Amino acid sequence: MASATVKGEHMKLCVTSTDSRLDSKVDQRFGRAPYFIIVDTETMSTESVKNEAITAEQGAGIKAAQTVCNRSADAVLTGFLGPKAFNALVSSKIKIFENVSSDDTVREAVEKFKTGAYKETPADSIKPRRGHH
Amino acid sequence: MISEKLMHTKIITTFHHKEFSTPLIGITGGKGGVGKTTVAVNIACSIAAKGYRVAMVDADVDAPNAAILMGLKLELPETVSSMIPIFDNARCVRCAKCIAVCRRNAILMPIDSIPMLIGECNGCEACTLVCPSEAITKGSKPVGRTWMTTAGNITLYTGELLTGSEESSFVVTALRERAAKDAENFDIIIVDTAPGTHCNVINALRGVDMAYAVTEPTPLGAHDLELIMKAMGIFEIKTRIILNRSDLPGRPVEIHNIASTHHTFVMESIPMHESIEKSYAEGKPVISAFPESPTANIFLKIADSIIKEHIR
Repeated sequence: MASATVKGEHMKLCVTSTDSRLDSKVDQRFGRAPYFIIVDTETMSTESVKNEAITAEQGAGIKAAQTVCNRSADAVLTGFLGPKAFNALVSSKIKIFENVSSDDTVREAVEKFKTGAYKETPADSIKPRRGHH
Repeated sequence: MISEKLMHTKIITTFHHKEFSTPLIGITGGKGGVGKTTVAVNIACSIAAKGYRVAMVDADVDAPNAAILMGLKLELPETVSSMIPIFDNARCVRCAKCIAVCRRNAILMPIDSIPMLIGECNGCEACTLVCPSEAITKGSKPVGRTWMTTAGNITLYTGELLTGSEESSFVVTALRERAAKDAENFDIIIVDTAPGTHCNVINALRGVDMAYAVTEPTPLGAHDLELIMKAMGIFEIKTRIILNRSDLPGRPVEIHNIASTHHTFVMESIPMHESIEKSYAEGKPVISAFPESPTANIFLKIADSIIKEHIR
């Protein structure tokens, strides 16, 4: 797996999105986001992946993490991750960036990401809200 | 292709199969808080008081409370387990079939390793069936506990779901099996179900010779009685109605109407009485706390009718 640091380095970043394009608005959800836009942070080439987990009755976060994992993304940029999705991404050694602004398009979010605006969520972080639903 | 009618017949036959000859009755009722457990405990104690050996099964494993009403301290715990998959690194071919078949999306396969259980497994075993390389063995995780407590003529079987577990059906099934194993030691087995008409209620009523639906003469009581009577109809369970708090200022006529719509009747009405409130507050069955009370007499009468119908 390619090692990736936050600023200036080349990585495949998966951004949760409301639609299929680079200029679609981001979606703050992960498991229930309609699309994943996987962006090469260097070339800005994109791959749009429909999130099949959106209709899952249970375990949407895990199923979505599997999709992201299968596309060899290095990191996920989203609003907030639930406990299962968080664990699944950590287990897949995918880096996690949360608190993406819902006002931004995917392109804007990636640009901000490249300036180092988002901090990586540590793999051992337990947020109060991440508790069991 | 099996016809829907034949399928229904098969389901009903399986549902009504009982692996023992001891009479088995269910106490249910749809609505919560109508006094199902109070009625069940008092019926059980009344039958026991007449010299019969009674097994009482508290199948409301999400909120077990019969032991409290019977004033019993639980004994002989047993762990209830559910199957979880264990993945064998040497055999796994990383085909991801287990991931595709898992309805719970509980399995994850990281890019450079074999699958791992990461979500909530309900023990359905589908992953073990689709695995082409026998890479999944069956492990187990504790999901609950059952207890068996004997006091005189009564043995209480009660169960509890462990905090954080979702699958109460495992505990209901384990409880049922534990009581069934000892069935020949009893003259009758009484199963007290959870409220509602969900699968744990239906599961608890498997094999019953008759169900007794406890309700109260309120709009909610009538509404939920109608639901449970429909469910009993679907599963072809013969059902009688016990009207608790029958003198509440409600509309008992509606309860009688529901009874006749479903070709049954209200076998007994239990008016409110201070003896039942006092015994409830003391954590004792009314028939032992106030044996001379009118309420105790009603329970003894119900016991007689059940003995006549099922035991003799």
